[in-house]
Amino acid sequence: MRKLPLTRSLILLGLSLSCAASAQTLTVGLDADPPRLDPALSTALVDRQVMNQIFDKLVDLDADLKVIPALAASWKVTNGGLTYTFKLRSGVKFSDGTPLDAAAVKYGLDRNRTLEGSARKNEMTSIKEVKVVDAQTVQLTLSQPYGPLLAVLTDRAGMIVSPTAAKKAGADFQNNPVGSGPFTFVSRVRQDNITLNANKTYWGGAPKIDKLVYRPFPDGDVRYANLLSGAVQAITPIDPKDISKLEQNAKFNVLNYPGIGFQGVWFNVTRAPFNNKNLRQAVAATIDREAIAKSIFYGTVTPAAGPFPPGTAAASSAIKVQKPDIAAAKKKLGGKPLSFTLLTTPGSVTTQLAQVYQAMFAQAGITAKIEQVEFGTLLDRADKQDYDALMLGWSGRPDPDGNIYDFFVTNGTNNQAGYSNKTVDSLLAKARAQNAMSARVATYNIALSTIISDTPYTWVYFQRNLVASVKGMTGLKPIPDGILRFKDVDLK
Amino acid sequence: MVVFALRRLLSSIPTLLIVTVIVFALVKLLPGDPARLILGQEATPQALAELRRSLGLDRSLLQQYLSWLAGAVRLDFGTSLTDNSSVSKLIAQKLPVTLELSLFAMLISLLISLPAGILSAVRRNTWVDRVLTLLALSGISLPNFFLGILLIYLFSIRLAWIPASGYTSLLENPGRNLLLLLLPAVTLGIGSAAVLTRYLRSSLSETLNQDYVRTAHAKGLMARQVISKHALKNALIPFLTAFGLQLGGLLGGAVITEQIFSIPGFGRLLVDAVFTRDLPVIQGVVLVSAVAVFLVSFLVDLSYAAVDPRIRYH
Repeated sequence: MRKLPLTRSLILLGLSLSCAASAQTLTVGLDADPPRLDPALSTALVDRQVMNQIFDKLVDLDADLKVIPALAASWKVTNGGLTYTFKLRSGVKFSDGTPLDAAAVKYGLDRNRTLEGSARKNEMTSIKEVKVVDAQTVQLTLSQPYGPLLAVLTDRAGMIVSPTAAKKAGADFQNNPVGSGPFTFVSRVRQDNITLNANKTYWGGAPKIDKLVYRPFPDGDVRYANLLSGAVQAITPIDPKDISKLEQNAKFNVLNYPGIGFQGVWFNVTRAPFNNKNLRQAVAATIDREAIAKSIFYGTVTPAAGPFPPGTAAASSAIKVQKPDIAAAKKKLGGKPLSFTLLTTPGSVTTQLAQVYQAMFAQAGITAKIEQVEFGTLLDRADKQDYDALMLGWSGRPDPDGNIYDFFVTNGTNNQAGYSNKTVDSLLAKARAQNAMSARVATYNIALSTIISDTPYTWVYFQRNLVASVKGMTGLKPIPDGILRFKDVDLK
Repeated sequence: MVVFALRRLLSSIPTLLIVTVIVFALVKLLPGDPARLILGQEATPQALAELRRSLGLDRSLLQQYLSWLAGAVRLDFGTSLTDNSSVSKLIAQKLPVTLELSLFAMLISLLISLPAGILSAVRRNTWVDRVLTLLALSGISLPNFFLGILLIYLFSIRLAWIPASGYTSLLENPGRNLLLLLLPAVTLGIGSAAVLTRYLRSSLSETLNQDYVRTAHAKGLMARQVISKHALKNALIPFLTAFGLQLGGLLGGAVITEQIFSIPGFGRLLVDAVFTRDLPVIQGVVLVSAVAVFLVSFLVDLSYAAVDPRIRYH
């Protein structure tokens, strides 16, 4: 670990022993304290960083976002996409020693889709029944074909909990999570740390490090300072302003790879002024996406043309990033003044971004007033459609469906605009029911061209995953979902 | 004195009750629904309704408040809406951390402010006083977050003497515990020392102008004796009051400092709870802080008698 305190004066003597003993401990700095370590109850993105080490999923993702085997060694999709049959790996055990067999998988999936307060219900709603065929085979029957299912099972919905532990702990399972993953949960102190130990009997081989500790540092400067001082060996995310400093520092590595989410601006189409399509288009036309990527994010984001980031299945080169066109924006306004309120959350980046938008809108004579409310209030106002325009993005899902369906289907859970278009509804439903990805991608892109022209939302940029680590840390694969998988990571 | 103490303790109960009502009302007035914050961006309306019911958020405000109060008198503050853990347990985990940090910070503050305040008063309007005044004013105006980051930069990154963050309990490893708390305690201590130095300077300056001090000098007492035996004792009362206020403030949780040094104390617990509208945690923390502040001011009141024998309690 760190050498620095070891060499120092007497007061630090007590330290040296504890440091030497934990030579294979990897400490990771996150930007928030993961609230709930239960695959059914989790809603925060950051939960997944920790849960991915504790729980195995039925299937996983590789660096190209292809679905690869995990607990399921193989699978078959039959009956026109209505039946999914998974063959499980044999001999897998949970860290409490109980067997991970078909019955356990059924329990886990059923728990995720039915537990009271589960946040997985929406994405698992197409599953009608989970059936145990034999000890190593599980069959999922769907009520209607649902193309994104496998991708959904690479995330929290596909995480399998130990039935014995879950039944015993009840509502407290999130504080004592037990799975079959490469690490096992040891302890957590809220706002301080979550400690995991290597699972020495992991079916995929024991991890190279002995201990994995997560610590939350909400402030980017503090996170950065802790990396520099050696208190942690890796951090994610990095504040864009610190990237170049870290890249020039010989002691650290920076991983900067594409993500799967997007950021942009919602327009409330249910009331004036933005029930007028021309005004939405006018505002969208003033935004200089390239300039934003450069000036606010130091090039650590990619200008966005739609919901599908480059490198994901549905990204299409036919849909181009919109260039700012002030003349066109003025024409759309038709000589009438436009003023509205732009709702956003506090925070240095969102504040800066809102001010840059404001300046860009002003070039076309559009007046935007910035109103900052914290996140809970923003979601509340979005639900009630009590806003003109608001800045809100999405962390992204590996399957294209997760980046478009609920955002633009009538009454979708993420449809903050109140947008409703019958053509779009039927295209999005059609894509879900198609099984071949190429067919689905084509359908999504037809729907997308209508959505872009209607402009209930305007995409501005795609986030990238930014990870910094000490040079001695190796073996971290850049998977676009942003989750750091530590099974093969080594520390020298 | 005992009667006075008992009366003070009893009279605090209505105050604390009012505090809980105000906090309860304030949290309820905040926009943002806990169920929505727990379930996040993609929540369906059915899931939201279900969760609100299971959290008891669909009951009337009065019902919610009374059931909380009934638990609180038995020291049961309910369970966190976020992770179902017991609020009393969370408080028991965080309170010692904040308590230790506050006492450590106030110790540093005393070590600085007592000599600095006395020196400033005794040598008032000399260059010593001016330098100390300048330092005190800088200390007051230096924001915690800046001083904290500065200390981390200097001692954790440049010199690499002290880890930048973290916490180990005093029982587990006393040496490491004190080392880790040193920078946050200094950060808090400097700000409070600056304030206390100014208090002590002004009250001691005033006392030094009193007739009885002149008499003491005239009796031929040494300057040191005049200051420590006669002047300082009388000058300490406003200083003690300010000290109590500072300590009380710290016990409520040094939010920013705890954030910078990643100390898992009261302040961070409270901030996280506010952002997730975790009402039981907010209520529990605020009540315990209010009790702590009350206890500190109570002890300060009692200490007046020790400092100034003319003060008697009835």
